[in-house]
Amino acid sequence: MKALIIDDEEDVRYVAHLSLGRVGGMTVIEASNGEEGLVRARDEQPDFILLDMMMPGMDGAATFRALKASAQTRAIPVVFLTAKAMTSEVQRLKDLGAKGVVLKPFDPMTLASDIRTILTS
Amino acid sequence: MIPPSIPEHEGERLAALDRYAILDTSPEEAFGEIVHLASSFCDAPIALITLIDATRQWFKARVGLDATETPRKISFCGHAICAGDDVFVVEDATADPRFADNPLVTATPNIRFYAGAPLVTPDGYNLGTLCVIDDKPRTLSGPQRLALRALARQVMVQLELRRQLNEVERMKMDFVSTVSHELRTPLTSIRGSLSLLASGVMGELPAEALPVVTVAERNSIRLIALINDILDFDKLESGRMEMELRPTPLLRVLERSIESISTFAMQEGVDIELHCGDVTVTGDETRLSQVTVNLLSNAVKHSHRGGVVRVTGAAEDGLAVVRVEDFGEGIPAALQTRLFQRFQRTDSSDARLTPGTGLGLAICKAIVEQHGGSIGMESAEGAGSTFWFRIACVPARELV
Repeated sequence: MKALIIDDEEDVRYVAHLSLGRVGGMTVIEASNGEEGLVRARDEQPDFILLDMMMPGMDGAATFRALKASAQTRAIPVVFLTAKAMTSEVQRLKDLGAKGVVLKPFDPMTLASDIRTILTS
Repeated sequence: MIPPSIPEHEGERLAALDRYAILDTSPEEAFGEIVHLASSFCDAPIALITLIDATRQWFKARVGLDATETPRKISFCGHAICAGDDVFVVEDATADPRFADNPLVTATPNIRFYAGAPLVTPDGYNLGTLCVIDDKPRTLSGPQRLALRALARQVMVQLELRRQLNEVERMKMDFVSTVSHELRTPLTSIRGSLSLLASGVMGELPAEALPVVTVAERNSIRLIALINDILDFDKLESGRMEMELRPTPLLRVLERSIESISTFAMQEGVDIELHCGDVTVTGDETRLSQVTVNLLSNAVKHSHRGGVVRVTGAAEDGLAVVRVEDFGEGIPAALQTRLFQRFQRTDSSDARLTPGTGLGLAICKAIVEQHGGSIGMESAEGAGSTFWFRIACVPARELV
């Protein structure tokens, strides 16, 4: 399974990369902002995208809309990564069309299995 | 009738009024006392604190009048706020062409006498008045005029205090929310790195390093729990906790809670027994599970290895009652009365376990109380503890 992590925080990408790759056995690619994420999503066709909500410039919601607007990336499931744990915020992201939401800080030992559960639900 | 004119800088005046966030708020004792004092001292049957927005005069406090607002175009106070910062007096409305055919004069409340002291903001805008009204022509004595002005200043002191309190509360909410959210991102990296190291997926750690990393991992998880609890408690205290109250099978709440705690219970060698009748509660499933998980977590912490925690759910006297019972060391009597207060802990002496945040039971209490319920405990030292909560259940006939 190929995962694309889009997050501006290098340290979070590093930990998520290890969690999905080394613990979860996935192939992991990264992007540090929304624009780069759109290009990597189009070129690499990952099985899902772990997309940070709060990013400078093109934020998670804008990146998500751009992904869904393109025929080449529209079908790729998106799981949001957010620090806002409010029920209404999680619901808002799901209403946008996200496959699921992972809250920060996540458990690195269960991140991959949690995302697999989200993707199959 | 001559409608009141519009004050100069009306836009700025309305913006100033907005800053006080007072319109359409509930009655408050401090304002109620001022209108009673004004009515009594000025010997007038009606006294009002009125605030004038674009279309109406709205009464923050009133005595002797049932209406809560009237249109601005027929208001006496609309005239008063255009008359500078002195008391505006109409001794006999029937003899004044501005008011003689005003519906407030020709019909109830049959105003004859009116005196209004403006409510002046520190930057000079008249937001409304403290006014007294009588159905007989009369005037104000000198001391009464002075008293009305002094009381109007006290209304402004109260409004200003209220505005500052709201501002402080808003800043506190923003601060707690921002800090909590901003802490989550670095904590993701810290907790993640430590968990990856402690798990061995990055390679085996030297025997002496593993406990050090485990201590750091455990405390990073504790810090995350504390941040979550502080956010929850802040939301509960300020009434911003989102609750979806709906009929929910109690069994589902309890099963979900036990499932959440099962790994921890297994690690501690504690069995959880569940006995639950066919009870449907009116509540927020997620929040009720949060309460039960918290009680279960405490019970497991206080149980001996190989022990049992018993969870029961039943309908009693028209209420749903959940009990979580452990057979551990119990809680000292001196601590029992303070248990549901903030930052009180009854942590197990078992040093392996992560200490609690000290907010868990305070949060449980707040959630149960937001469900209109009650929470409590009984404990005997050496014989274990029973924590319980009661909330409304849906009568069986309403479920058919």
